[in-house]
Amino acid sequence: MSFDIKIDQGVEIPEVLQSGRVVAELAGEKVRLSLRVKSADRTAVAKALGFTLPAKIGATSSKVGITCACLGPDEWIVIADQDKGGKLYGKALKLASKYDMSVTDVSFRNIGITVTGEGAADMINVGCPLDLRLAAFPVGSCTRSVYEAVPILLYRRAEDSFTVECWRSFAPYVVGLMAAHRSGAAST
Amino acid sequence: MMLIHCPYCDEKRPEIEFAYAGEAHIARPDAAEQQEMSDAQWSEFLFIRDNKRGEHCERWWHANGCNMFFNAVRNTVTDKFVKTYKMGQKRPSASQISKWNEGGNV
Repeated sequence: MSFDIKIDQGVEIPEVLQSGRVVAELAGEKVRLSLRVKSADRTAVAKALGFTLPAKIGATSSKVGITCACLGPDEWIVIADQDKGGKLYGKALKLASKYDMSVTDVSFRNIGITVTGEGAADMINVGCPLDLRLAAFPVGSCTRSVYEAVPILLYRRAEDSFTVECWRSFAPYVVGLMAAHRSGAAST
Repeated sequence: MMLIHCPYCDEKRPEIEFAYAGEAHIARPDAAEQQEMSDAQWSEFLFIRDNKRGEHCERWWHANGCNMFFNAVRNTVTDKFVKTYKMGQKRPSASQISKWNEGGNV
């Protein structure tokens, strides 16, 4: 399988989100792997893959170009740069025949939108009811949640920097809402 | 909007992330038992529920979170979540529920 496919994301960041205190950008194409691993095999699989599969739901581990988040008791998502992803997928597929695990390529399900700048948490909180104070959602946290009515994956990269991932077909709605909130159109 | 404690995430999360999934602790008959069941018994299994007034054991699904089903004791009159607990744990007794109740909302 090739991960070099460049497809039109079909999403443009509205102008109002391109400047100011908080800026939104498209994260670019990534390789996304959904891993389901039985707990007995978690550490062995992690060792073979070369990065940690965190045991705690909401925790992440990362190394250059790869982020791995624990989404459920036996579920992880790996989001990797394209140059790392192909090799990783092959490796994970081989492991799947040896261990009690499954791996699915879900690269084209989501697109990522980075939201960065002072007050980024406030901007996300307009549509997402999670407690995003640093104590409750520290740097490195990642979870599924909702933005308005849209299921999202939310990752805190730094205090004032988040990645919001949503299903590709819903991305225009999500960035449109963010823009509407920013410009005040949603409240008039 | 309420906050609901997910026993898998071990966090209180916004209600909008969850979906209700019916009464808890209803065991599905296995294939052999299903063969033996009459239509009346089968329809009872499928459709007949206690519809309890008061503390009710029910399933919830953290659909936009950890994606796990869990059980909850919720008061159907006041909407108070008395306790949430993981799948596989036994139905709590009435005395256990009243003990939890003294502990306040979860």
